[in-house]
Amino acid sequence: MTAVLESEVITKTFSGIQALSDVSIRVDAGERVGLIGPNGAGKTTFFNCLLGILAPDSGTVQFQGRDISSYPVHKRARAGIGRTFQRIELFSDTSVREHLLIAERVHNGTGAFWKDLIGLGRPRRDEIDRCDDVLDLLGLLDLADEPIEALSLGQGRLVEVGRALMTEPTLLLLDEPSSGLDRDETTALATTLRAVQAEKGFAILLVEHDVELVADFTERLYVLDFGSLIAEGPTASTLAMPAVRHAYLGNLEVSDG
Amino acid sequence: MTLALIGEDFVRALLQGTPPGTVYALIGLGFVLTYKTSGVFNLAFGAQAYISAAMFFKARQEWGWGIVPAVVLSVFVIAPAIGLTLERLIFRNLRTASAVSKLVIAIGLSVALPALFELIADYKPVAGRTPTGIVPDGSSVFYDPTGVYPFSRDELAQIIVAGVGVILLGAMFRFTSMGLAMRGVVESPRMTELAGIPADRVSALAWAISSIFAGMAGVLIAPRLNTLISNDFFTLMVLAMAAAAVGRLVSLPGAFFGGMGLGWFIAVFNTYLPRWADDHTWLEPFKDNLTPSLPFVVLFGILVFWPAIRRAVDAADPLSGVDPPPPALAATTRHPLLTLQTRIFGVCFLGLVGWLGFTQADVRWIALLSTATVLSIIYLSITVITGFAGQISLCQGAFAAIGAFTVFQLVDRYDMSALTAALIGAAIAAVVGAIVALPVLKLGGVWLAIATLAFAFFFDAVIVKFSWVGGGESALFSGTQVPRPVIGPFDFGESDRAFLALAVIVLVIVSVAVIQLREGTIGQSLRALRSSEVAAESIGISPARARIVAFAVSAFIAGLGGAFLAMLEGDVNYPKNFSPVAAMFWLVLVVSLSARTVEGAIQAGAAFALFSPVILEGSFLEWLPYFNEDNLPGIFPISAKWRFVLFGLTAIQFARHPEGMLEFGKRRATQKRNDRYYARDAERAAAPEAAT
Amino acid sequence: MADTPLLELEDVTAEYGPFRALFGVSLTIHPGDAMALLGSNGAGKTTVARVASGLVDAATGAVRVDGVTMTREPTYRFAQAGIAHAPEGRSVFATFTVEENLVLYFRRSLGRKNVPAALDEAYTLFPRLGERRRQVAGTLSGGEQRMLSLARVLVEKPRLLIADELSLGLAPIIVDEVYETLTSIRSSGAALLIVEQHVQHALELCDHVALLDHGTIAWTGPSAEAADVVVDHLFETGSSS
Ligand SMILES: Nc1ncnc2c1ncn2[C@@H]1O[C@H](COP(=O)(O)OP(=O)(O)OP(=O)(O)O)[C@@H](O)[C@H]1O
Ligand SMILES: Nc1ncnc2c1ncn2[C@@H]1O[C@H](COP(=O)(O)OP(=O)(O)OP(=O)(O)O)[C@@H](O)[C@H]1O
Ligand SMILES: [Mg+2]
Ligand SMILES: [Mg+2]
Repeated sequence: MTAVLESEVITKTFSGIQALSDVSIRVDAGERVGLIGPNGAGKTTFFNCLLGILAPDSGTVQFQGRDISSYPVHKRARAGIGRTFQRIELFSDTSVREHLLIAERVHNGTGAFWKDLIGLGRPRRDEIDRCDDVLDLLGLLDLADEPIEALSLGQGRLVEVGRALMTEPTLLLLDEPSSGLDRDETTALATTLRAVQAEKGFAILLVEHDVELVADFTERLYVLDFGSLIAEGPTASTLAMPAVRHAYLGNLEVSDG
Repeated sequence: MTLALIGEDFVRALLQGTPPGTVYALIGLGFVLTYKTSGVFNLAFGAQAYISAAMFFKARQEWGWGIVPAVVLSVFVIAPAIGLTLERLIFRNLRTASAVSKLVIAIGLSVALPALFELIADYKPVAGRTPTGIVPDGSSVFYDPTGVYPFSRDELAQIIVAGVGVILLGAMFRFTSMGLAMRGVVESPRMTELAGIPADRVSALAWAISSIFAGMAGVLIAPRLNTLISNDFFTLMVLAMAAAAVGRLVSLPGAFFGGMGLGWFIAVFNTYLPRWADDHTWLEPFKDNLTPSLPFVVLFGILVFWPAIRRAVDAADPLSGVDPPPPALAATTRHPLLTLQTRIFGVCFLGLVGWLGFTQADVRWIALLSTATVLSIIYLSITVITGFAGQISLCQGAFAAIGAFTVFQLVDRYDMSALTAALIGAAIAAVVGAIVALPVLKLGGVWLAIATLAFAFFFDAVIVKFSWVGGGESALFSGTQVPRPVIGPFDFGESDRAFLALAVIVLVIVSVAVIQLREGTIGQSLRALRSSEVAAESIGISPARARIVAFAVSAFIAGLGGAFLAMLEGDVNYPKNFSPVAAMFWLVLVVSLSARTVEGAIQAGAAFALFSPVILEGSFLEWLPYFNEDNLPGIFPISAKWRFVLFGLTAIQFARHPEGMLEFGKRRATQKRNDRYYARDAERAAAPEAAT
Repeated sequence: MADTPLLELEDVTAEYGPFRALFGVSLTIHPGDAMALLGSNGAGKTTVARVASGLVDAATGAVRVDGVTMTREPTYRFAQAGIAHAPEGRSVFATFTVEENLVLYFRRSLGRKNVPAALDEAYTLFPRLGERRRQVAGTLSGGEQRMLSLARVLVEKPRLLIADELSLGLAPIIVDEVYETLTSIRSSGAALLIVEQHVQHALELCDHVALLDHGTIAWTGPSAEAADVVVDHLFETGSSS
């Protein structure tokens, strides 16, 4: 297996708060890896460091064998890292389909100014079709023309996933994709993601508090607590570790996925 | 000996800088207070201050009132009454609106309020009647504790009020629930209500307090002015923005010391710059030009180099999900049939206007139509930057002026063809636009507006004065003349009609380009960036590139329009056409009509050019058979001040429909028919199903 | 005691602009009741919660609190009547510090002199908040912000506590903590209206269930009977969508 992503000893402090200390993880191509930990453990911060939204105090990020630590955010995104946000980040004043279209065109087009001027920047038929395919996959086709503000929380989550998929990522970072979805919708999302993944072969790094989903969906786990990795390994055995139970799970019963 | 001398000069400079510093501090505090308690960057602060000062002046000098009743009336009755009225009629509806809408309203009010006041209170500024302060003999009794610089009583009153103001207001925010509640209402009125606090009452109180402060500041500042006119207050306010910026618009002590610091800095600078200039001759040209613009240089520097400001984010209302989505652009929800009807109507209308323009119109009408066309081009630059990118640029006037001055200079020096020069001018404007955009890229919302305003005033105070821009002293006599182009057999200077045709062609080209841009990848990227920068970046959009392109394109269009405006008028006419204040007026007009559509810009151009001659001067009556130029009814021409009454009504209407009034009108006008068409479609679709 | 309901929605419809989200919803909550609102994505749970706390006005129908009609009254009147709502997502004042957030709420509902005790209680409930009392709330992690908005309503001990997406974004170990507190709040007589994605959790805590479907109430009843209905219902909608 080749590593898609390797982060080495990433450290980040916010005015005295140690949010991450020496976090090194590795995600292989096509793998589904989970990253869990209690609230405030540093999971979102870690995602932000991977994508360059925050600059880590130290440490490097290797993506497909390249050191991308000095890339700005949009370059990392173009290199193949897609993500969704814990707090939904959608574009207001656009419809659901336009959301995906924007992503599709930014991904495809060179965005050259002259092309826009002579009208080559407009969406093509095949681009619209591709968007509709993804919408269909996520069960959002009925909502395609809805304004984004009219969506409920759960529907908004799915749009974010769709938007990230349009950029054809090699690595998809999902930050609590199931929050706002109920059990069945979560299962449906997991099934969809598996199917798309089987087709495109990207890797997934998943942050979740829905332990059932984590147990069922991921192959390997990293566990963060107070910014440091406290455990890693295959999902089932990691979840069974006493340290993990103590720091994170509490009394929760985990059934084997 | 020399050391002592320098020391004494320095101390004197500091003391000298204290009174103006206090004035800046007072205004800075006012900005911070209003921003913190109502979320508005209140460019109407100067207007509010002016009204109280004028009221005080009138009560004292014309009615002969005592100081105390005059203060009570102007500061504690009139000022809060204005604040409460504004809150109730306008800002309450704008509480959750975007920074753009709030700022635009405030800019509009800064012009409308003084005009309205002068109309209602029948106040006329008279030159040379110096206002008096709130302490007896304020300007004639001096105290000189240091023996270096004497302070007048008025100045001491200012210092005391500013100092006490910081402490009292600071205490309000720190120790009372009210301060917290006010900040809460700014951030999310709904969350504050969930805490059981009536948001309406809190924001009314906030406006009352900040207006009283504005009034107090006005009355205190007035004695510094020779004549009480509103423009001076506006200028002072713009100068004092640097103070508010030091306080990052949220810190009262920051604004206080920012203001004082600014006063001291300017005084010290003015003390030493002439000496250095004596030693180093190359400083000479800067000596005259830099001094008046120092506050803007300081302001721009603070905005660009102070990281804390870049990090300041506007907190979004976490409960905004309760609102229904904003209505989509009327054009995007239109039934195809209605679209067709609209297009046919549009073509007919334009055809009619064109036909009238080219066959019937007299010289005066052609001039008006040309102005409307050329202004529409300039306004399209606002459509790009504000309508698409959602950013407020207040330096469009400077970009347009660059285009105009370039034509003037190139034709004057190199005898270049005016059209080529116009394109070069537009290109130069684009480059300047991109350069201005670079340092301010990370600034959002209100901060960008302030930074561009600083640039506009800097341009106004320094750049225009250079002879290679504004023509220097020779331009004082001969003006900044600009010829019209000659292309092959067409001499556009000969025929006004031909020039109008040329302008229309340019407008059409620019309009099409703007539409293409909106629909293209860049336009869509800008749209994404407007609401979520991180999300836009995470799908691969480069915010820096998109914004620089937006700025450059917008500056290009403005430069082109500016060049054409100069050609139309035969002169750059910088103060009338391109001054920062004129440019602010453009923004208000375009945004309040409709910033997001091309039609909006064109309608704004028409409104600006035609409103005054047609409506205010009563020309529309001349179209009727009976009237002609000489027998118009006595009410015409209507005083220009009444247009501000109209503006006031517009603002109230705009506050209810921040998408722009035209946009709103369009939607409402066609809603019924649109719904009917869709309903009929649905029926038809249902019919065959039923049949099978 | 159970005669005047604490909160009553009668045939309520609610709209977002042109879009209608609720069609004739009726619900009654008596003092001491605990009701779970269930339903799939977009069914209107959040909208019901918003109507119940006055955030969204009922377009038709009536909303009564303690028998008094409050339809279209401003939101703060609901809060003053003892209804506390923790909205879904991160409902904190992002520019306030953690402590300022809490103080703003506690001062009004508990009175100035009870604020320190209430703060202590909040910090015992969520020690993380205590460690971060001076941190600006907008920089807290997602879960920490949820804790903050829950701390408000949990400590305040309102007469009716409305929590939307209660356990969303919280680590399992914190969810346990929250449910323990809710149980103790219940036993002290407060009423609850809970929207929760973990059906199991919700059913254990609550004694009534209302099942929403496309903006109407599909079923109400005691939670003991709910399990089967809910499962049936979700399977139906699950397969149709
Ligand atoms: N800008 C900031 N300033 C100060 N502290 C911060 C900042 N951003 C994050 N933190 C702190 O860093 C820690 C890690 O935050 P992060 O958002 O990564 O947590 P998380 O693991 O994603 O938690 P959750 O599961 O609740 O989402 C938190 O304690 C948070 O309060
Ligand atoms: N601000 C809004 N404007 C327009 N429509 C809205 C708005 N908020 C919600 N809706 C619509 O109202 C319906 C009900 O939404 P609501 O948020 O109440 O659902 P929900 O049951 O809470 O869903 P979820 O479980 O996903 O949170 C949805 O179809 C949604 O699209
Ligand atoms: Mg997180
Ligand atoms: Mg909801």
